[in-house]
Amino acid sequence: MDDLSRRAFLERFARAGVAAMGVGALPPWARAVAADLPSRAAPAGIPDLIERNDWPEHWETTLESLGRSWLTRNDRFFVRSHLPVPTADPASFRLEVSGRVQRSLTLTLADLKALPFQEATHTLECAGNGRGLFRLANTSGTQWERGAIGNATWGGVKLSLVLQRAGPLPEAKHVWFEAADHATLPSVPPFLRSVPIEKAMADVMLAHTMNGEPLPELHGAPLRAIVPGWFGMASTKWVTRVRVEDAPSDNHFMVKGYRYTYPGEDPAAAAPVEEVRVKSVITRPLSGARVPLGTGKVRIQGFAWAGSSGVRLVEVSADGGKTWRPAGFMGETAPMAWRAWATEVEVKKPTSLTVMARATDGSGVTQPLEAKPNLGGYANNSIHKVSFHVRG
Amino acid sequence: MCAADPVRWTAVGRGISKFVHIRRLAAMLMLAGCALATLAGAAGDKPPRRIAYAPQLPAGEGHELADRSCRTCHSAMLITQQAKDSTAWEKTIVQMEKWGVQLTPAEHDTLRGYLVSHFGRRTQK
Repeated sequence: MDDLSRRAFLERFARAGVAAMGVGALPPWARAVAADLPSRAAPAGIPDLIERNDWPEHWETTLESLGRSWLTRNDRFFVRSHLPVPTADPASFRLEVSGRVQRSLTLTLADLKALPFQEATHTLECAGNGRGLFRLANTSGTQWERGAIGNATWGGVKLSLVLQRAGPLPEAKHVWFEAADHATLPSVPPFLRSVPIEKAMADVMLAHTMNGEPLPELHGAPLRAIVPGWFGMASTKWVTRVRVEDAPSDNHFMVKGYRYTYPGEDPAAAAPVEEVRVKSVITRPLSGARVPLGTGKVRIQGFAWAGSSGVRLVEVSADGGKTWRPAGFMGETAPMAWRAWATEVEVKKPTSLTVMARATDGSGVTQPLEAKPNLGGYANNSIHKVSFHVRG
Repeated sequence: MCAADPVRWTAVGRGISKFVHIRRLAAMLMLAGCALATLAGAAGDKPPRRIAYAPQLPAGEGHELADRSCRTCHSAMLITQQAKDSTAWEKTIVQMEKWGVQLTPAEHDTLRGYLVSHFGRRTQK
């Protein structure tokens, strides 16, 4: 069977829903392809999520789970909530757009859904992803390792459309996202982030779908901001008000939190955490895996991501960083979404192997072997090393 | 690459595009099968998770105070995963008092002592 007829067969097969019959129903060549895919289901007894806090929810996705597909399933997508998840009633939901605008707006979900719908796939990474790997002597915050990241197709309205309707005044410089979540104690500041109006007008989205489904409550239902290429905290969940102002928000989470602060520095004067840093992760083999020698080729694969300049190159080393070989990109691509990459290493006999992957972004910045730790433990983009065994 | 190298590399990229396409279709099939399987499960349930840290605060002097003061706003795991010296815990407690946690000076000191003794500074990198 040639490639074209195989493809036609698979498409017919998928349309007919015969997939429910299982891999055994596939012809031998398709069984071989399917057998090479990691299973979509988690192995029995091994959850796909790591709970790093139960309330508010801080859940990390395992590398094994992330590695199964370019898009991350909604119920496997990392969760980071600063404050308890609010309960939203879609029927009574209103989005207020106000501040330095010609006319304030009050929009229902139906109003927002009546605006042109757009979908875009973007990777969201928590700014604290990798904090736990810094192993700081003094540390605050969730000790994320590598899985506070996910890639999803977000659907909703371009924020620029909404802002154009409100008509930003000449002094409008920043867009603040206020949200419905509140702490148990009233003195705790609300979680609030703002973005410069240039970013807001360029590509920020107000999303109400995630991977084609209604946005889940844990991920910001009924409406959240998606700020492509920026660390996840910028993509405020449960948004209820878009405030257009002449200055950035002075909220605690803008002025004191999410700053690259080093010992002796004032957080307010430190650089803000905004665009993601170039980074890659190895999803296969997993650390400690026992990989069959088989035909003598071991596949190394993973994802790489960066900010607006994109990922230009991924390289892999199997000799402690002395030499680096470029990996190939594969699968889908979208602006500010991670890219899958893969390479193969030929192994002559059973051995233990350590591989490293490093990515370079479109502006030529390459991941460091060890990122310089900042006090908040943000943006750890140190090179990922994985040790595994090749067995005979 | 010198002859003594134990490994040889093969870039995998454009050359496997057809293969990737077939893999994607096969993935759709697997996904469809799994979607059917999971629909039968408990809808709305939280997915299973591996608990990373102790979900309860350890016993000891100050335990009840910590339980009462901290868990108003977050669960114990946010504490049991931390490592801080006395100065850093002091800073945290002052911040929490600013945000509404009510502590007498004696309770403040007891809480700091409890946190430092159980979740003190990491000694090894």
